[in-house]
Amino acid sequence: MSSTRPEEMTDLDPDNGPETARADRPATPASSGPATIVPPEARRRAAAARSADAVGVRLEGLRAFYGDAEQVKGIDLEFKANEVTAIIGPSGCGKSTMVRCINRMHEEIPGAHAEGRVLLGDADVYGSGVDVVAVRRAIGMVFQKPNPFPTMSIFDNVASGLRLTARRGELNEKVERALRAAGLWDEVSGRLSEPGAGLSGGQQQRLCIARSLAVEPAVLLMDEPCSALDPIATLRIEELIEELKQTVTIVIVTHNMQQAARVADRTAFMLAGELVEVGPTQEMFTTPSDPRTEEYVTGKFG
Amino acid sequence: MSAPAAGGARALLAGSAVSPGRRRRDRAARGAILAATVLALVPLVLIVYYLLKKGLGAWNGDFFTTDPTGNTFFKNSNIGGIKSAILGTIEMVALASAIAIPIGVGVAIWLVEYGRNAVFANIVRFFVDVLTGVPSIVFGLFVYIVLIVGTGTSYAGWKGSIALSLLMLPVVVRSAEVILTLVPDGLRESALALGAPRWRVVGKIVLPTALPGMVTGILLAVARAAGETAPLLFTAAYTHETTTNLGSFMNSLPVQIYTDVTSPTPRVVERAWGAALALVVMILLLNLIARLVSRRSRLA
Amino acid sequence: MSPASSAEGSPEPAAGTVAEASPGGGGGGRAHFQDQLQQLERHALGGLDLIVEQLDRVLEALQHRDIELAQMVIADDDRVDGRYLEVHQGILSLLALQAPVAGDLRLVAALLHTIKHIERMGDQCVNIAKLIPLSGYDAPVDPDVVEAILKMGAFARSEVVQCKASFAGRDIGLAEDLVRQDREINRLNRDIFRAAIEIGDDLDRREWAMHMTLVARAIERIGDNAVDIGEQVAFVVTGLFREFSDSSRQQPS
Repeated sequence: MSSTRPEEMTDLDPDNGPETARADRPATPASSGPATIVPPEARRRAAAARSADAVGVRLEGLRAFYGDAEQVKGIDLEFKANEVTAIIGPSGCGKSTMVRCINRMHEEIPGAHAEGRVLLGDADVYGSGVDVVAVRRAIGMVFQKPNPFPTMSIFDNVASGLRLTARRGELNEKVERALRAAGLWDEVSGRLSEPGAGLSGGQQQRLCIARSLAVEPAVLLMDEPCSALDPIATLRIEELIEELKQTVTIVIVTHNMQQAARVADRTAFMLAGELVEVGPTQEMFTTPSDPRTEEYVTGKFG
Repeated sequence: MSAPAAGGARALLAGSAVSPGRRRRDRAARGAILAATVLALVPLVLIVYYLLKKGLGAWNGDFFTTDPTGNTFFKNSNIGGIKSAILGTIEMVALASAIAIPIGVGVAIWLVEYGRNAVFANIVRFFVDVLTGVPSIVFGLFVYIVLIVGTGTSYAGWKGSIALSLLMLPVVVRSAEVILTLVPDGLRESALALGAPRWRVVGKIVLPTALPGMVTGILLAVARAAGETAPLLFTAAYTHETTTNLGSFMNSLPVQIYTDVTSPTPRVVERAWGAALALVVMILLLNLIARLVSRRSRLA
Repeated sequence: MSPASSAEGSPEPAAGTVAEASPGGGGGGRAHFQDQLQQLERHALGGLDLIVEQLDRVLEALQHRDIELAQMVIADDDRVDGRYLEVHQGILSLLALQAPVAGDLRLVAALLHTIKHIERMGDQCVNIAKLIPLSGYDAPVDPDVVEAILKMGAFARSEVVQCKASFAGRDIGLAEDLVRQDREINRLNRDIFRAAIEIGDDLDRREWAMHMTLVARAIERIGDNAVDIGEQVAFVVTGLFREFSDSSRQQPS
């Protein structure tokens, strides 16, 4: 807002400097999109910290049916290892159905079936001779409504995954590790024998996450894990997801686009059973390619 | 929508005061409901009163420790107690429960977890509903025809248990099914998603969660079985002595009461009342024990 | 979009439908937010109308040596500054409350840049206005220079009008065309500079000529700012930021 006084007119204009200043401005590469925000050093560190345990998941031509009605209409999508991928889309677009096909929970619904391939690493989850139970041990799931087992204590809840799957091993150690990974250890270490249902909503959800983690899955599916929680609990779980992705691959279905923007490395947008667009979250939310994506993320429908 | 001004707000609240007509109707409805409650309570209270008044007098040491002697004709003869009846009821109902409860819960589990809404499952449900309405004497007759006349053998305690278990079965199935349906699906989903086979999910998650509710329903079935007379008349018949042999005739409290109540001897009639009181007390105790057990299992 | 939205999640076999993008209507189309965004854009671009006004007046003041008119231009810069503050506040508000994304976000970012450029244009008009009394009451000594300056002013005015049209219509072609006009301005700028040098030893004329070079420079800056706004138009549409050309670099004379 300064306008220079006439005596100072001989000085260089304060806002622009000499005419050559424009050339000095760091040129953004014309071809690529907006520069990523994470500095390269942090990205390298994160890559080094990734464990080899997590594997990626790839969907090939996945279709899901309720009886004769086709809800998911042929999806090809990759979830990269040790990344968080968010699935967004309006109600009824099939995102929950699609995710439930990944750990074969979809077929538990009477009359429902799925076609296509779901590759965990290089193994097709729907292959012949594949044990459904084994699939679910490798691909865990956290649901929208926190549901700790009501008859069990906190310890038993976390251990239930191990007991239900008849896993051997030192229970105490695994339970503690799972509770630490879920960010709940400090809060409950003194009261492991209290009923699981006595915790707050956010703590219950973290308990369910610990329960899933105790089985040491390679992939964790989260179906709107925060929609029943208050904002503070939601943010804690988002921070948790940021840490967890170093050891598991995470797929999160969410209604909340701000959450997808905060938490996910990549985002996929689904509409009416089809995959419209997928890409790095930053691109999806600044320069989406498909006009339907643009309309959805800016809130013009949905 | 425009908000009313401050004075108008008061008028808004004042204007919605309860009209006298509405208050009258409210009071009338409340009165009617209270009257219905009292009306329903009256016979219950009367029953308890009569039981205590007429039955308590029969209770003494011998009452519980001696068998009925059958010498009921003479005024001063020793008529005995009801030991065999009590033990007989306990034995037969225990056996009937041991048959009906596992089978009934099993059917309920199948209906809720596996059959769900299939056509066959709905047919099963229909038949279970029909069976709940069948008169108890029909079960007795059925066992009589099949197991006594049909095989040419005679009355036995275990045959009485069969009849009782048939009676209990639909009640157990229905109440267990209701409770199992109440277990939230989210629990099953979570357990399945952890990688557990369905039978483990049912056994370790669903059943323990449903247990407290199921106990109540099962108790109802047991109480009904303990109190039925008709099925036992043609199957276990009546006898005086205590026996643990379920293959022989067996006494039971309902049959004992049935036999005694028509006697001309007042002391025998009094014994019948005492036996009725004993039966009610037994069921009450069963109720209390079961509740204590289920409460402890919920906290475990 | 508030967090903790209502529950969905259950795999109901409902068909997914795309609701029509309806104007005005609850949460379906974010109509209120779209209204606010459009209003903000209109308000920002309206600043360019103010600039045209200022430019017209200052050029007239220059031509007729009208000091009072020049004073009015200086005083009216408050309107431009005020508009800058309003648009800036509106942008902050939208960012905080509505969390725009994608195209909306690019528009908001572009408006922030644009209103800054508009404010700079206003300052340049004030700079010109402040130079007018200094020119003295003597008749201008070089009609060619005056003509060149007025021509530059006309180009600048046309650029301002065109950059507004290109932004409002999201017309990249129109935006890129600004470069052509800006080259003319640069050419005239160089001519004036050369003329000023050639005026040489005549002290009175030299002082006046120096002031005219400063005026020319200010007009040239206005043109640059208009091109910058054109670059913002391209950014809003494509998401890529690139400079049309380095129109500010002067050829060595």
